[in-house]
Order: sequence, then structure tokens, then C-alpha cells
Amino acid sequence: MNPSLKKTPSHARIHKEFIIERNDIANAGTVASSTKRILKNEGFPSHFIKRVTIGVYEAEINVVIHSYGGKVIFDLNDDNVSLVFADKGPGIEDIELAKAAGFSTASSYAIENGFGAGMGLPNIEAVSDEMHLTSSNEGTTLSMRFDIGDDGIDS
Amino acid sequence: MVLTVKQLMEDIPLTLINEPKTISKTINKLFASDLLSHVIGYAEENDILITVLNNINVLGVASLLELSGVIFTHNPNVKPDIIKRANKLDLPLFSTPLSTAEVIKKIASLE
Repeated sequence: MNPSLKKTPSHARIHKEFIIERNDIANAGTVASSTKRILKNEGFPSHFIKRVTIGVYEAEINVVIHSYGGKVIFDLNDDNVSLVFADKGPGIEDIELAKAAGFSTASSYAIENGFGAGMGLPNIEAVSDEMHLTSSNEGTTLSMRFDIGDDGIDS
Repeated sequence: MVLTVKQLMEDIPLTLINEPKTISKTINKLFASDLLSHVIGYAEENDILITVLNNINVLGVASLLELSGVIFTHNPNVKPDIIKRANKLDLPLFSTPLSTAEVIKKIASLE
């Protein structure tokens, strides 16, 4: 990160939390839309907003179709956008396998709705600057970070 | 040749099923898929999506990626809530009796 970027961030620091319900596929995208709105209001360029919202949307869909529900913590920091998706289980059996493009355990419900291609985690990894995934049968936590500077407003 | 959404309507059997403010958007390229994560991963801004899927999530993805429009193939019955949401998003939705492959063939022959 270029140190000059840290001097005067031209955006506000924003903290938000969202709840995602299990199998609520009709509302999937709500967190992505809110994220998009916040970043737009703060004046970020569209390619940066797109990168973030793609990651958020994929993670949101994962919580909806795979988990028992969960919450999302959004933080717009001085030099990055950070999101943590924490769900209530059932967890991912094999994380490395889950990250492989094309691998999917999606239900027929998810597939009928156009999801379950096994592309979610690879897509998030591709758009974010860092993605971290931990899981047990108690739940899964997925965090992602998008650095402002490479293509953000301060560069 | 630069194609617009309007030109497509004139040249292949497509029915506009909602009321977007504009149909003069230009099309970057065609993107055919029935898996939304695939669309999210590979489609680009101003692409036109050709799909048999017709659920509300298609609109979420189309809006996220700022697609030029969506063509539903095999004449599906598109629910009113989808049409309403597409109007709000100002996203042109089309229905066609053609298959996905036939739509692609027809559009390719225009270029």
C-alpha cells in the first residue's frame, strides 16, 4: 500500500451489520445492494464497487443456500473495505475442495435458482485482495478484504 | 458492427416484456448461461444475457454487472414481480420462442 493513500481518506468510516436468513433466496442480494449504495455514496469508482459487490453477492448466496443463516459485518476503513460473513453451520467438510472451481454441494433448490455451479469461492478469491475461510460444524466464517488504492478513489 | 438492444429487437423475434426507459444501450457481447455464478464470474458490463432461467436472482446479477438486457429463451412465463423489479432497474427483458442456440445463431448472422 502506498503510504500517501493513508493520509487523507476522502470517505467516511462506516460500520454496518446485516442478518441473512436461511433459504431466503428472494432477498439474496440485499447486502450486495446496500454495499453498492454505501460505496456509491462515498464516491468510489464503479470498477471498485463492482469488485466488492461481486464478492459480497457470492458470499451472501453461499450463506443463503448452504447455511442455517448468519450475519454480515461490513466495515469501510481508511484503506480497505472489509466484510465478514459468519453463519451458524453446518460447516464445510473440506475447505480446499470447496475452493476448487466447479466443486459444489448445492441442493436442487439452489440449482433451480441458478446457483450451485461451484464458482462462488473462486469468484470471491478472484475479485478480493484477501479471502480467508474457516469452518467447523458450528459454522463457517468467510472474510474478505478489498484494498482501496489499486483501483479505489484515493489512487 | 456495434449492436444496440433496439436493433436486436428489429432483427430477431424478441418481445420486450417490460417497460425500460431506454432500449438504445449498446451490447458489449452475448453471454449465454443458466448458472448465475458463471455469469457473475465471466459476464461483463453491457453484455446481453441469454438464459432459460427466469427468477428474481437473474435481475440481481444483471444489475450487479450492469448488463444491457436479458433474453429469456423458450418463451417462459415471467412472473409480474420480475417485470416490476426490471422496470425499477431500467433493465430491458425480452422473451423469445427460440432456443438459446437459435438466438445466438441469429444474432451472430447480423454481425
